[in-house]
Amino acid sequence: MSDHLDDRLAAKPVSRTRETLQTLMANKLAVAGLIALTILVFVGIFGETIAPYGINEIDIPNRLTGPSGTHWFGTDDLGRDVFSRVIVAARVSLQVGFIAVGFALVVGVPIGLVAGYYRGGIDSFLMRMMDVLFSFPAILLAIAILAVLGPGVGNAMIAIGLVYTPIFARITRGSVLVVSEEVYVRAARSIGAGNRRIIARHILPNVMAPIIVQTTLSLAFAILSEAALSFLGLGVQPPNPAWGRMLAEGRNFFQQAPWMGIFPGLAILVTVMAFNFVGDGLRDALDPKQKSVIESRGQSV
Amino acid sequence: MTAPVLQVRDLQVRFGTKRGVANVVNGISYDLHAGETLAIVGESGSGKSVSVLALMGLLPQPPAAVAGSVLYHGDELLGLSPKEWRGIRGRGTAMIFQDPMTSLNPVRTVGYQLTEPMALHLGLKGDDARQRAIELLDLVGIPSPEARIDDYPHQLSGGMRQRVMIAMGLACDPDVLIADEATTALDVTTQAQITELVDELQERVGMAVIWITHDLGVVASIADRVHVMYGGRFMEQAGVDALYATPRHPYTEGLLGSLPMPGADRPERLVTIPGLPPDPVAMPAGCPFAPRCGYSDGDRCVGTVPAMESVGAGHDSACHYPLGVVNG
Repeated sequence: MSDHLDDRLAAKPVSRTRETLQTLMANKLAVAGLIALTILVFVGIFGETIAPYGINEIDIPNRLTGPSGTHWFGTDDLGRDVFSRVIVAARVSLQVGFIAVGFALVVGVPIGLVAGYYRGGIDSFLMRMMDVLFSFPAILLAIAILAVLGPGVGNAMIAIGLVYTPIFARITRGSVLVVSEEVYVRAARSIGAGNRRIIARHILPNVMAPIIVQTTLSLAFAILSEAALSFLGLGVQPPNPAWGRMLAEGRNFFQQAPWMGIFPGLAILVTVMAFNFVGDGLRDALDPKQKSVIESRGQSV
Repeated sequence: MTAPVLQVRDLQVRFGTKRGVANVVNGISYDLHAGETLAIVGESGSGKSVSVLALMGLLPQPPAAVAGSVLYHGDELLGLSPKEWRGIRGRGTAMIFQDPMTSLNPVRTVGYQLTEPMALHLGLKGDDARQRAIELLDLVGIPSPEARIDDYPHQLSGGMRQRVMIAMGLACDPDVLIADEATTALDVTTQAQITELVDELQERVGMAVIWITHDLGVVASIADRVHVMYGGRFMEQAGVDALYATPRHPYTEGLLGSLPMPGADRPERLVTIPGLPPDPVAMPAGCPFAPRCGYSDGDRCVGTVPAMESVGAGHDSACHYPLGVVNG
């Protein structure tokens, strides 16, 4: 009897992905973050074309001029257009963010899957290694790695990626510990599925939610880390523009030309906030606990 | 009679725990023939689920240690390599679990989960697999299977999910279907539908079924033979009618006595069995039921484990003083 009722209730299949997207779209901050990110990615791809001036176009007579119609964000100590440099620097920031977090995902998630699924000795070994990495303050570890590898954008990506690897390993392992106890994992084994198949086809899709959320939030932190490293001169090398570098350069002229530091700083702020808003929105949309709270509230009203 | 599909001999399962070794299954033996339904009844912790998980090779070793012999069509299963086990699971033996709410993967469609065993064992993929999945859904009585196949588990009711689980179990025509408390989480109407379905499918496909339950009502409706399990041992084994009519073991008598029977001539209060099941870490030296048994002599019962002995045609009881049998 109950079967017929369910027939009508579940007339149209709604996948989890669609449900998640609907919840996400209802969150105004997340939508604002998504819009900001879309613009950022666009700017990152077409930066050179949009920029009104070349990034290394030196114009000494017009050095340190304030924001105006010709130079929206003013000019720096060499007369270079700050607006153009901020726009072009978006690419390297996003690149470092995506590649570093991608590295952390590709290394950290498999470590977490193996540790959480097989447990025992391999779990202890892998997670103790992650603990060692995790025990260093993030930026200090990145600086140490760059001290070994040498400064540069590529090495900064590896350093930031390594710093974020243990976070993904831990989050994945925690979820795998829970999911691998589920009956459907045992059921998959009972039809003859092997360990690798169970991990890839049954466990991984069920632990994706926290990983996705962590990815978005980590992107924000990775971009912040890149800015910090470039600020310290360990990331992007001159004369290429990077927000962190520009902050560092602007520091020397903060009294005369605050715009040199303010605009790259704002760019960092907007980017990091955009990723955080999207990350928070995704967490609310994907976390079933949060969801049930909201739903039960909705029912009681 | 033809050779049994499954021959279990002296199956033992132990777990290493912090408190010591837990003897969960202590030497059970039985034969399972094609087309037969064997019920294993017992209360929680009697070892019935663990005993069938051992048959499927689903107990992680360690912490579990499995001993004895399980012959599937004459071939020993215990000691197979993980790869060899994968060839048996789903193909030769399949299993349905207790709670249909958690035994389907929530992020995979019904179709995916139904076709997975086909891809693993039969090399069936794409449209052929999908076609067979639709046929299976139809076979287990799911209306409009063409539409349901793309549903996610959360869109189905408990009864329908259990039907999907059964379809998944049947996907590769196994010889043995193990139903581990398969109807316990369902309401009574759905329970009846599922037992009926398994019964009907069994007649059509000719597979053997091991039905694990604590529900004597379910047993009466589907089983051919019943094994009563307690403290990791079989206490009594008989055809279903003989067991209900003339229980030969005090534990079976207690179980049946605690069952409400409408219209039957019974005392007003239901009988309860005093005490608790034995602790698997500290099993009694003699009959595991002796500490709770009203007939215990306090001597032989406590000191010696009673052997399984015949008390009638196809009826065995593991009791020093089987009920209704004059003992010399």
